[in-house]
Amino acid sequence: MKPKKDVMQGTLALMILKTLDVLGPQHGYGIARRIEQISRDVLAVNQGTLYPVLLKLEQEGSIESEWKASENNRRARFYRLTKDGRKQLRAETREWKQTAAIIGRFFEVKAEDL
Amino acid sequence: MGPVKRFFARVKNFVGGRRNDGGLDERMNEEIDEHIALQAAENLRAGMAPEEARRQAALKFGGAAGIKEEYRDERGLPFIDNLMQDLRYGMRMLRKSPGFTTIAVLTLALGIGANTAIFSFVYGVLLAPLPYRDASSLVVVNETTPRVGIVSASYPNFLDWRAQSHAFSEMAYYQQINFNLAGANVSRPENIQGDAVPSNFLSMMGIRPYLGRDFLPAEDKAGTQRVLLLGYQLWQSHFGADPNVVGRSIALDGNDFVIVGVLPANYRSLDKVDVMLPIGVWLTNNQDAMDRGDRGDSMVIGRLAAGATLEQARAEMEGIAANLAKEYPEQNDQFGVQLRTMRDAFAGEMRVQILALFAAVVFVLLIASANVANLFLVRGAARTKEIALRMAFGASRGRIIRQLLTESFVLAIAGGAIGLAIAFAGIRLIALLIPQDALMGATIGLNGAVLLFTACVVVLAALVFGMAPAMQWAKRDVQEDLKEGGRTASVGSAHNRLRGILAVAEIALALVLLAGTGLMLKSLYKLINVNPGFQPDRVLTMEMYLSSERYAKQPAVENFWKQVLDGVRALPGVESAALGNHIPLTDAHGRTDITIEGMALPKPGSFPHPDVHAVTPAYIRTLGVVLERGRDFTEADIATAPEVALVNEKLARQYWPNEDPVGKRFLWGRFNPAANKPPSWVTVVGVVGDTKMYGLANPARFEVYIPVLQSAPNDMTLLVKSRIDPTALTSEIRGVVAGVDKDQPIFAIATMDKVVSNGVAGPRLTLVLLGLFSGLALILAAIGIYGVISYSVAQRTHEIGVRMTLGAHRGDILRMVLGQGGRIAVVGIAIGMVAAFALTRLMAGLLFSVRAGDPATFAVVATLLAVVALVACYMPARRALRVDPMIALRYE
Repeated sequence: MKPKKDVMQGTLALMILKTLDVLGPQHGYGIARRIEQISRDVLAVNQGTLYPVLLKLEQEGSIESEWKASENNRRARFYRLTKDGRKQLRAETREWKQTAAIIGRFFEVKAEDL
Repeated sequence: MGPVKRFFARVKNFVGGRRNDGGLDERMNEEIDEHIALQAAENLRAGMAPEEARRQAALKFGGAAGIKEEYRDERGLPFIDNLMQDLRYGMRMLRKSPGFTTIAVLTLALGIGANTAIFSFVYGVLLAPLPYRDASSLVVVNETTPRVGIVSASYPNFLDWRAQSHAFSEMAYYQQINFNLAGANVSRPENIQGDAVPSNFLSMMGIRPYLGRDFLPAEDKAGTQRVLLLGYQLWQSHFGADPNVVGRSIALDGNDFVIVGVLPANYRSLDKVDVMLPIGVWLTNNQDAMDRGDRGDSMVIGRLAAGATLEQARAEMEGIAANLAKEYPEQNDQFGVQLRTMRDAFAGEMRVQILALFAAVVFVLLIASANVANLFLVRGAARTKEIALRMAFGASRGRIIRQLLTESFVLAIAGGAIGLAIAFAGIRLIALLIPQDALMGATIGLNGAVLLFTACVVVLAALVFGMAPAMQWAKRDVQEDLKEGGRTASVGSAHNRLRGILAVAEIALALVLLAGTGLMLKSLYKLINVNPGFQPDRVLTMEMYLSSERYAKQPAVENFWKQVLDGVRALPGVESAALGNHIPLTDAHGRTDITIEGMALPKPGSFPHPDVHAVTPAYIRTLGVVLERGRDFTEADIATAPEVALVNEKLARQYWPNEDPVGKRFLWGRFNPAANKPPSWVTVVGVVGDTKMYGLANPARFEVYIPVLQSAPNDMTLLVKSRIDPTALTSEIRGVVAGVDKDQPIFAIATMDKVVSNGVAGPRLTLVLLGLFSGLALILAAIGIYGVISYSVAQRTHEIGVRMTLGAHRGDILRMVLGQGGRIAVVGIAIGMVAAFALTRLMAGLLFSVRAGDPATFAVVATLLAVVALVACYMPARRALRVDPMIALRYE
């Protein structure tokens, strides 16, 4: 149970950071929509799981939030990347690419190559 | 950076949450609402009906409750939140079953209270730091001789030890002295005690005077000025804690001493120290101290040199003593040395008693914990459904175990709090029962160390009794529990087995305690029935020490004693009165070598070495010592008459076997054929029974009585046998003494009965406490086995009903139930017996004329425990017999 959730949370956090980086300040629903559009299944259900991750990122200082008017003309919490967040995103993107590259190479290896 | 920031944010939220609960909660709710509203609007635009749009939006958002929970966990510190929640829940559960809670808390309180009380003695006597610099390197040195045992060191021997040993960096010899304190500072003359110490003594011990100065090296020599340090107590009681006391003077034995300082309040000594004076003052008045064969009331303490061990010091000192024995055979033949640490010297014989009692209370606590664990298991069974339900709703096993452990801790902490109150009262009660000087100045109380111990006991107890029930849930199939459909009966054989094991353990532990108590009881019974060799009833004793200048020479001393005795004998109600310088069981003694006429002369260390008592006529009659042959002393046995003596039976049998000792002769000291003066023979005029001088448990020694009138000592005890309660005579006797010398103090006033009973106070107190603890253990173990059997009967009501329907006899049912209890009892007793045989050996030092594994005692306690267990099982068995098969079956 636990490790799976951690991986989920980790990827989700990265997706959130990237979304905010590309689109600028967004409310939770906006972030969820964007992630859904790009990733399709990951957030098709249980969009709510976004919120604990948003809080975690905010408490870590990667993002900050404020109340602003939403499209409904009601209040929504808008999240924005901080300087720390941008740095974190850069670092994690680099790491992610490295990891992906290594894993990718492993998958390409065939028995006769060894 | 991130994780640290996050942690602080969580702490801030957690703390802030107390004041402003819901700030973040509201935000979360609003965000979720808006999220769903935005999604619903989107769905509407996609053409859904409003109802459906909203439903789909909520579905897509996911389980809001779970997400809120996760959100809350992320926000604050879930561990503490959960703990608070568990605590609240635990308290509620405990309040809901007040019977269970009360019994569990009281059981624990008794166990923890007893442990705390006894540990306060363990700490005070055996563990508390001694108030000296580096106390572990302080060593007490005594001399030993096979004829007596441990004796004080002679001053010249000490001087040689100090000069020759390398294992000690410093050594000090000090002398215990009594003084007559009379004059301006006191309302009634009194006897005080003090130590005469060398100038290096206090600095060696690492003690500085509280006021004034230490002694000077010049004050070590005979002929020094009379100066002294006041003990803190005496300074408080007699000088009103006057800060300007230095320079004032105090009259001891009629001589003025200048006060040069005050000892600190925490000064602790192996003997009572009202005053401390330089050894030079004592040497001035005691020139015989320079005689190597003179061993008085002295102590030698050494400080081990850096790097030296007690073993090295012992080996070196034994070598030095062996050389001194060869070099001075006349004074040192067969004399050895004994070294022990300061801690050992302070703890003495109390160590075994305290440790035995400590073991006993640990057992009581284990039994109490087992009992509470049993209660928990019963309740755990009743709560199966509740807990299974909680697990079905998503509570993790860890969470359930934590919840159950929290309940255990709540119970243990409540038990600990009440236990502290019990301990507080217990310590005071025990302190009342202990003879005053027995603790040697140890402070007993609920100090930081004891409270820390209690806290550890609370945690351990909670783990001991909380773990078993909690672990039951570690690997269980909840599905099964829910399927049971409300029946708790099958909760389990595992439960029942564990409960059986706990009951067995309780019985085994209780048996060990009962065996210990039984042995102590038998031992004390034998001790009390030892014939002390005298009749203690209706005898009052009081000591007087004629230390003042006016008694420096005869006939002042003789006259004083004669006038006091005549005055007391004339008092109404007095049956007889006498004086003696060493009454039994008080450690007062004087010994010397004698030579029996005609004996083959042994080596210097092997001459007969009897206790010598100077007594007046009628002493043996007043004390009730049996006169076996010959005559008592008379008023005619004066200095100018032929020297006469009484000997005890043990000496007579050893040196005049099969002969009439009356008329036989001996001389004082060792016969020296080379001396050219004629020996002065002492004639035996009577034989008396042996008296127990050194404790009822110790064998009698050789004794010789000599008439006071032939050599009157300055320090004597007055014995008065009265026709009525002897204490009623105290003030009249005081009057008689004051009439002879108004400045003469009287001390150590006690009836002989009290002297005897003080001698057994230690074993008696140990027995009382052991008895109390094992009684508690017995009751708890009985409750334990009762609980197991009665719960099992309740579980098997249905089964019993079926059996009865099928024609089982009442006898069969009874046999079935008692058989179950019997198995527990038999196994418990068997294990307990084995453990008791092994463990009671450790208390052998406490026992008098009873072997540690005494079969009779073991048989009695095993039977007692078996009977109690049987009775405890019989009650539920009777309930089983009353089962109505119809009702039992319909109940299903």
